[in-house]
Amino acid sequence: MRDESKILLGLLSVAVFLPVVVTDDYVMHLLIMACFYAVLASSLNVIVGYVGELSLGHTAYLGIGAYAAALSATSLGLSIGWTVAIAALAAGLAGLVIGALTLRLEGPYFVIVTLSFAEVLRIISNNWVAVTNGPMGISGVPGPHFDLGPLQFAVSSKAEFFYLALALAVVALFALHRFVYSNMGRAAVAIRESRYVAQSIGVNPFRYALVAFVLGAVFAGIAGAFYAHYITFVGPDVFGFSFMATMLIMVLIGGKGTLVGPIIGAVLVVFLEEYLRAVEEIRFSIFGILVMIVVLFFPDGLVGLRRALRRRSDRAKAAPHPSIVPSVSDVAPGMTEAEAAERNR
Amino acid sequence: MVFDLALQFTVNGLVTGAFYALSALGLTLIFGMMRVVNFAHGEFYMMGGILGYYLTAVLGLNFFLTIAIVVLLMGGFGFLVDWVLIRPLRGKDILTTALVTIGLSIFLVNTFLVLAGTAPRKIETPFASKPLIFGPVVITEARVFAVCFGAAVIFAAHLLIQKTRLGKAMRATFQQKEAAALAGINVERIYGFTLALGAAMAAVSGVLLGSIFVAQPTVGGLISLKAFVVVILGGMGSFAGAVLGGLILGVTESLWGGFVSTGYQDVIGFALVILILLIRPQGLFRTEVERV
Repeated sequence: MRDESKILLGLLSVAVFLPVVVTDDYVMHLLIMACFYAVLASSLNVIVGYVGELSLGHTAYLGIGAYAAALSATSLGLSIGWTVAIAALAAGLAGLVIGALTLRLEGPYFVIVTLSFAEVLRIISNNWVAVTNGPMGISGVPGPHFDLGPLQFAVSSKAEFFYLALALAVVALFALHRFVYSNMGRAAVAIRESRYVAQSIGVNPFRYALVAFVLGAVFAGIAGAFYAHYITFVGPDVFGFSFMATMLIMVLIGGKGTLVGPIIGAVLVVFLEEYLRAVEEIRFSIFGILVMIVVLFFPDGLVGLRRALRRRSDRAKAAPHPSIVPSVSDVAPGMTEAEAAERNR
Repeated sequence: MVFDLALQFTVNGLVTGAFYALSALGLTLIFGMMRVVNFAHGEFYMMGGILGYYLTAVLGLNFFLTIAIVVLLMGGFGFLVDWVLIRPLRGKDILTTALVTIGLSIFLVNTFLVLAGTAPRKIETPFASKPLIFGPVVITEARVFAVCFGAAVIFAAHLLIQKTRLGKAMRATFQQKEAAALAGINVERIYGFTLALGAAMAAVSGVLLGSIFVAQPTVGGLISLKAFVVVILGGMGSFAGAVLGGLILGVTESLWGGFVSTGYQDVIGFALVILILLIRPQGLFRTEVERV
């Protein structure tokens, strides 16, 4: 089994027992938010970490998912199974359209245009009062309710919400794991490392990037649907830049281009924001400084730090290999260019 | 009647457009030429406004002296930002530098919120808000002054880049970095200076707009986005394009807000960017394309 899968299963087995150990409702709330953000950050990571494109419009899919779920639950009275499906579909379609339009653009343009899409959606949700109720948002979204014939089940306690969020995280991570370690995921990484080399071996950059883009959008939409049912309120701020900055920071601090990174980032940021409350006024200033420090000194995040330490000890043990010519096939998912070069040396 | 109104909206739009142009010019240097997706640009603008307020209202300095001090301070700050944050990341992908500027932006907004509070500040100028009437069009003296001053700053920046030795070195650096370095240009210093100039121009724009409207710590986000829109409308790194793009955006927004709806006014810029890049992926006023 791969290292990464082991860590993921380890995290899961710890998480399953958390509601038994944790009795405080507020801490449970933080854990639920950490699960939500883990799904969201992981979905962004597909695009930022594996395809290597900076999409700043990821809140578009979060928001579409949240609004789709909230609207179908409040005005159509659908249960959570349907609302999540509708949210995933709506966000996936948006991802397909936006991805198809933007992935042909050059780096800086891509950044701004994806951001523009999210901003347009934010302004529409703020003004289209007939549907979105404008700045007032949609309140009173019903809690999750499962209706499986004889088995009726309503999610209401924090522990139940936690297991629901955890289940979503497991589904998301499983799907992303399958994607990342499939040929498609390898192709996406090849594109990230070198567009030209990828093309020369027959990888169509646009097609693989689009698949990853849609996958990311779908899971952001699902996260949005969970958010709508858990918070019970959806307003225009789900399209806002603060969600975008938060998930980006999570991906970055944890380690982009790894499956474990965004999860660690999500947990860390959710709890860090909480514990920095002690210094209320300046906590966001400290946050900004932390982001700068991480980018400057730990560009591969915490996961990268661990790898760097392990590599150092490996190097001390092993004798140098004869050098071979690096090839794209030697670039495994989750490796940066430097690490691939290291491995191929 | 409708024509008179349209004229008034156009003039209002040109005034706002002039400031869009001014703040976007700073960004066209940083984003268009240095290729740093600078999310702290709106915060440079905001800092200009807040500094301007403290220098005029609290220290009681003259308006022009204030602008000179703001230019020096913010220029120095820009140079420092380049030195500490951007230089170590030179040669990295745009993702990395964008993230560092997002961190900087979060830090600056929240630090200024603590230092200056949320209250909007108005900067006093020697020019009254007395209205001047030209036929059907009404415009205040302060606005005319601010636009003229902004235009002068744009012209000065143009001269600096086109006519001076320093400007020549800047242009050389952004055309061919290695060749410029070989010719004896201190490339690192040019990068620092470019960011300094960009920050100073954003800050001047902040002071001028703070004298017409108000200066507030949270204003930066929207300004950054608008400046990005203008830079893309005008074409990355194009000076004339940024001015034209700013004016186009200002006038379109003002006409739309006046005749159609104010709620959707802010959509226009983003919609324009999306449309333009779909039709011309290389930007409005640029010809070469790089991406496969």
